[in-house]
Amino acid sequence: MMLEIRKLDTGYGKKQVLFGLSMEVRNGEIVAIIGPNGAGKSTVLKAVCGLIPAWNGRMCFDGTTTNGSTPAQNVARGITFAPQGNRVFAGLNVMENLQIGGFQVPRKELRGRIAQVLDVFPVLKDRAKQDAGNLSGGEQQMLALARALIARPKLLMLDEPSLGLSPNLVRSVFGKIVEINRDTGVSILIVEQKVREVLRVCNRVYSLKLGKLAYDGTPEELRDDKGKLKELFL
Amino acid sequence: MFSQLLVNALIAASIYLVVAAGISLAYSVTRFFHFAHAAVIACGAYSVFVLHVWVGLPLSISALIAAPLGGAVGLALELLIYRPLRRKAAGPLVLLLASIGAYVVLQNVMSLAFGDASRSIRPTSVQEGLPFLGARITCVQLISIAVALALLIILLTAFVRTRWGKMARAVMSDPELASVSGINVDGVILWVSFVASMLAATGGILQSLDVDMTPTMGMTALLAGVVAAVVGGIGRLPGVVLGAIFLALAQHLSTWIISTQWQDAIAFAILLAFLIFRPEGFMGKKVRETTV
Ligand SMILES: Nc1ncnc2c1ncn2[C@@H]1O[C@H](COP(=O)(O)OP(=O)(O)OP(=O)(O)O)[C@@H](O)[C@H]1O
Ligand SMILES: [Mg+2]
Repeated sequence: MMLEIRKLDTGYGKKQVLFGLSMEVRNGEIVAIIGPNGAGKSTVLKAVCGLIPAWNGRMCFDGTTTNGSTPAQNVARGITFAPQGNRVFAGLNVMENLQIGGFQVPRKELRGRIAQVLDVFPVLKDRAKQDAGNLSGGEQQMLALARALIARPKLLMLDEPSLGLSPNLVRSVFGKIVEINRDTGVSILIVEQKVREVLRVCNRVYSLKLGKLAYDGTPEELRDDKGKLKELFL
Repeated sequence: MFSQLLVNALIAASIYLVVAAGISLAYSVTRFFHFAHAAVIACGAYSVFVLHVWVGLPLSISALIAAPLGGAVGLALELLIYRPLRRKAAGPLVLLLASIGAYVVLQNVMSLAFGDASRSIRPTSVQEGLPFLGARITCVQLISIAVALALLIILLTAFVRTRWGKMARAVMSDPELASVSGINVDGVILWVSFVASMLAATGGILQSLDVDMTPTMGMTALLAGVVAAVVGGIGRLPGVVLGAIFLALAQHLSTWIISTQWQDAIAFAILLAFLIFRPEGFMGKKVRETTV
């Protein structure tokens, strides 16, 4: 088991957002979290990576309990995260963004790793010296993905990688995600609003509603059951 | 006369430069305005006073010790006040108020220890000064310009080239993303606070070589630093050079026309004009709103 979340309660300040949430990601799986705005999808990823603490329950990554770990500790264990909003370090160029992604990688290895990741994202190669803030939305998303891959994670968490991209680009981003999963065997936990596209690529799917699990199953079941899908988003 | 004004402006600019670089740096990583920098500036000057006049160390050694001492004050403020507040999710306004509180406390401590009357570390014999572009400039003044420029060059190079510099820039750009990339953001804030406060203290030291010190000397220097930082574009170190020179020229050349007592008013007027008409400064880019 790559990631196991048991009865997780968490939130911001005094406001509880997740209520007794349990879910898991197995080795090599692509798992999707869907659900309406404000359901708490991003909050799950923030809790797993250590940006916000778990109030109750247990999170277990690759056999280790990660409750109370800092994001830096979790990166060292093999969890990386591309937060919502195609975020990159504006003011740093593409190469420097990748170097920050490989921040914990031994210096000798870093160059090789960057070259490898750039092979997966050729668009970034031509823009190595360009300020990341001046990339197009699609290029920024590629960079956000690339940044999260430099550390060679065991679990890659993506929060709405399709946000703000044209249909064509959405397809190519999802294509990349599948390709990366196939070639490296990395487990992927992906939050997505573009349900149809993500159901096509994931192995399992969870749906959240008001911080609770509303559905847990395979994408095939959900694709065939239009009524169920509607209900999940009401 | 005119060239002497230029030289005076250059000397002022070098002090503004150092202070402004510190303010700009601290603001960029912490996102709140470090009011207590004013106290750190004075701390730098008084540390030199204690080490040089009371202990009797040579001026240069005193200055070399005083600058990191000022840095240590910044470190202590971060550890004892700002970090605990940030842990409690305090916003920039709370941090600013805390910083003002810290300033008042530190300034009063200095008043108690040294009195409100001015103190001096300047040599008692009046220095003649070397001829320079038809004006006169003393050795100490030349050194202070050189120190300011050297510090800025070191800082800029470190920011662009070193791993630490890249870390700091990443935190400035997006602290949350930096954190999930595996950077210890609190650690970065800590050492940037040290460097920024060391710069502030250096500003105080340079100023005390030129004029006498009082416990409130930091306020004027802070104001100048803020104006230079805003004019240059906050967070843009090369812009700070322009900002410092611009402010110093405006203040000193205006003494042709109006009395020197108006220097603070001129600084404020420039600050307001920039805040209203060009808040991103000379060099700054318009701040892009981060999405969601
Ligand atoms: N930093 C924060 N501080 C306080 N409340 C927050 C914070 N971030 C999110 N929330 C609240 O937590 C709840 C869940 O937010 P979350 O971002 O997890 O939703 P989401 O499912 O990702 O939504 P979306 O699809 O819009 O991204 C929302 O009610 C939101 O207002
Ligand atoms: Mg979200």
